[in-house]
Amino acid sequence: MPDLATASTANSPIATIPGVAVVLVLLSALFATVAPGFLSAANLSNVLMQSTILLMIALPMTLIIMTEGLDLSVGAVLTLASVVLALTVVATGSFILGLATALAVGLAFGVLNGILVAWMAIPPFVATLGTLGVAQGLALIVSDGQSVVGVPPSILFIYSGKVSGVPMPIVLGGAAYLFFHVLLYHTRFGTYVPALGGNREALKLAGVPDRGMLIAVYGLGGIMAGVAAMLLTARMNAGHPTAALGMEFDAIAAVAVGGTSFERGNGWLFGTLLGVFAVGILRNGLNLMAVPSSAQVACIGVLVILALYIDSLRGPS
Amino acid sequence: MSLAHEFMGSAGARLKSGSGNCVPLLELRSISKSFPGVQALDDVSFAIWPGEVHMLLGENGAGKSSLIKVLCGAYTANAGEFYFKGERVEMHDPADARALGIAVIFQEFSLVPYLDIAQNIFLGREFPGVLPGTIDRQRIRDEAKRVLDQIGFDIDPRTPVHKLGIAQQQMVEIAKALSQDARILVMDEPTAALSDREIERLFVMVRKLQADGVAIIYISHRMAEVFELGDRITVLRDGRKVGSVLPSETTPDELVRLMVGRSVDTSYGRHFCEKPGEIVLDVQNVTAANGISDINLTVRSGEIVGLCGLVGSGRTEVARAIFGADRIASGQIHVFGELRKGAPDVAVRQGLALIPESRKTQGLALLRSVGDNLLVAGLNKLFPDGIFRKTVARRTADETVQRLRIATPSTRQIVNFLSGGNQQKVVIGKWLTTGARLFIIDEPTRGIDVGAKAEIFNLIDGLVQEGAAVLMISSEQSEIVHVCDRAYVMREGRIVGELAREELTEENILRLGMHHA
Repeated sequence: MPDLATASTANSPIATIPGVAVVLVLLSALFATVAPGFLSAANLSNVLMQSTILLMIALPMTLIIMTEGLDLSVGAVLTLASVVLALTVVATGSFILGLATALAVGLAFGVLNGILVAWMAIPPFVATLGTLGVAQGLALIVSDGQSVVGVPPSILFIYSGKVSGVPMPIVLGGAAYLFFHVLLYHTRFGTYVPALGGNREALKLAGVPDRGMLIAVYGLGGIMAGVAAMLLTARMNAGHPTAALGMEFDAIAAVAVGGTSFERGNGWLFGTLLGVFAVGILRNGLNLMAVPSSAQVACIGVLVILALYIDSLRGPS
Repeated sequence: MSLAHEFMGSAGARLKSGSGNCVPLLELRSISKSFPGVQALDDVSFAIWPGEVHMLLGENGAGKSSLIKVLCGAYTANAGEFYFKGERVEMHDPADARALGIAVIFQEFSLVPYLDIAQNIFLGREFPGVLPGTIDRQRIRDEAKRVLDQIGFDIDPRTPVHKLGIAQQQMVEIAKALSQDARILVMDEPTAALSDREIERLFVMVRKLQADGVAIIYISHRMAEVFELGDRITVLRDGRKVGSVLPSETTPDELVRLMVGRSVDTSYGRHFCEKPGEIVLDVQNVTAANGISDINLTVRSGEIVGLCGLVGSGRTEVARAIFGADRIASGQIHVFGELRKGAPDVAVRQGLALIPESRKTQGLALLRSVGDNLLVAGLNKLFPDGIFRKTVARRTADETVQRLRIATPSTRQIVNFLSGGNQQKVVIGKWLTTGARLFIIDEPTRGIDVGAKAEIFNLIDGLVQEGAAVLMISSEQSEIVHVCDRAYVMREGRIVGELAREELTEENILRLGMHHA
């Protein structure tokens, strides 16, 4: 097995085979044998496409967790952005305007989270739990609790269209991953992310505006929730006020499965990509086996524990 | 003391710099800094010339740390003025300090664990890449390598910092400060975590910087290096400057008197154990995965036994194995005649106490009260039925505070606000409530000032007078020599020798502990 860590060019802590890779292989082997149609090209492409929405929020979640933070609001913000996007497109007929509104809603909530955490020193768990409630409530209010339908079918292109034969979500997901890779490993901003979690005082003493950086990290998470809302709305061709509630669970699980630690700024972006695939394959395989959604959540929980157990076998990194 | 007088006093330093320039590189005039309820700095004036090593002495809480923080812009002074080469300058944030070429090597490391060495050295000063916002990682590595070579630290700059030991992290800190082309370098107890060999290398570097005209403010608790390196010595006490002297015109005793405001016996004279009791700790052929092999040692009641050797020789690992914090692969350990096995909680029930080397991260719950910290290890013993009784708790805590003479306003004081010496007393004190009779003490005086050191050793002496036994790990050979009844010397995970009281000298410890070079 090639060393996945060096493949990512990261300062990754993984010296041997990471738990997430083991889990990914085990899951694929399992579903290949027990889930009918799992290995078909159509299904695998489907897994990839469905995983992109999760990827969009798991990438910034990796950065947020590397700052020793957390964003519980992302599922609710994504839902709100999706509803707002649908409403705007229905009202104005302009997809661009709808997308802009969705991004603005995401950014606003992200920056709000950042301000609460960085300036008001509210613990991230509590701050984003609060904004989760606000976003979820707003989604229900603006949609009147109903699905927003009547979105013009032109938006379908975002999810079902193809660029040079490659499905749009995969193009967007690939672009997002590349963007985050460059951002985390090749920019100043990215260098400061592990410092925010690992030693904020050092960053402050180096003359870096640490609070501003933290707000930017959360703001990025918000924007990406807006991007994910675009994919989600296009996929459903509607805005539904409970569509992505609870998705923060999948996102945090994917990041944790991928080997990012919740302490000291120890994160691994490529691990998150693998973690997203692991969660996506698990959900897909269980769907094929007609396992109900509630049981899937339990399985994801087991997945997280399993991956982290495998990592812990190698001792502290 | 007038400023003019002080300028005269630095003639030696000026000669050394060869400039003959009377204007100091940096001068602080009447700096004061207060926090609610605390006057951290009170009317402190201080000047430094290029090429001068200026020693800053004082007990913990004397204001050294505050002075450094003001110097590097982390604190803004409430009153006072700064002059750089005679020009009045403002000092409000770290950027102001950096602009003047002031770099600080902090005692608490300012390193980011999951960035590599190169990224840490250039944190906040990354070389820009081709695209806006990007960084030139290759150049950062190359420049880092250059700085590391300069200080003779041979390591791949891509190594993540979390993989480094304390001494290596210290070297990275130094490289970080040097990379800023510092004209004024502040070193806060740079040798506290270094082995003798590393200290020597550091001294060579300090002298080289000095020759290059860098002004160095050097904080130390070790008298020997104060006299070896210092061109001038300034002593702080209770936030005030109590003296600024030349090394040639003073003695260690005088400095100690200035620091503590009274005479202190630095020999820690104790009554050595004439008739040791029975063996209470018996380690036989112990090998463990943490890197120690074939360890044999005994400690008798009434004894203080030293465990010395270079940093990284396996001393702490022996302590961890005895305490059950690390698993042993083979061999046997007996305490008080009983087989020692199982986790630390069993060790505590068997009468063991471990006072770890890192007071702040391993020994204390820093943000809890003195009382909470004193009681935490003994809760099971004090309240066997599991019900917490406040009156018993308060009485026990008060008794311990009095017995150990811990200087704290009350047992409700947050432990973080105590001085290092008093924090260490709390760490020791928490084991008194467990009824421990065998103490393993790792670096008992790290970061503790002279006056408090003597008190800590008196306290340890008191423990053995009452029949307890102590295994003491220390990097300060003079402490081992002055305090221990006998000592074992370690090298590369093995015990390479045992020194009886009469053979116990610093030379013998070094001879055994050094690598065959």
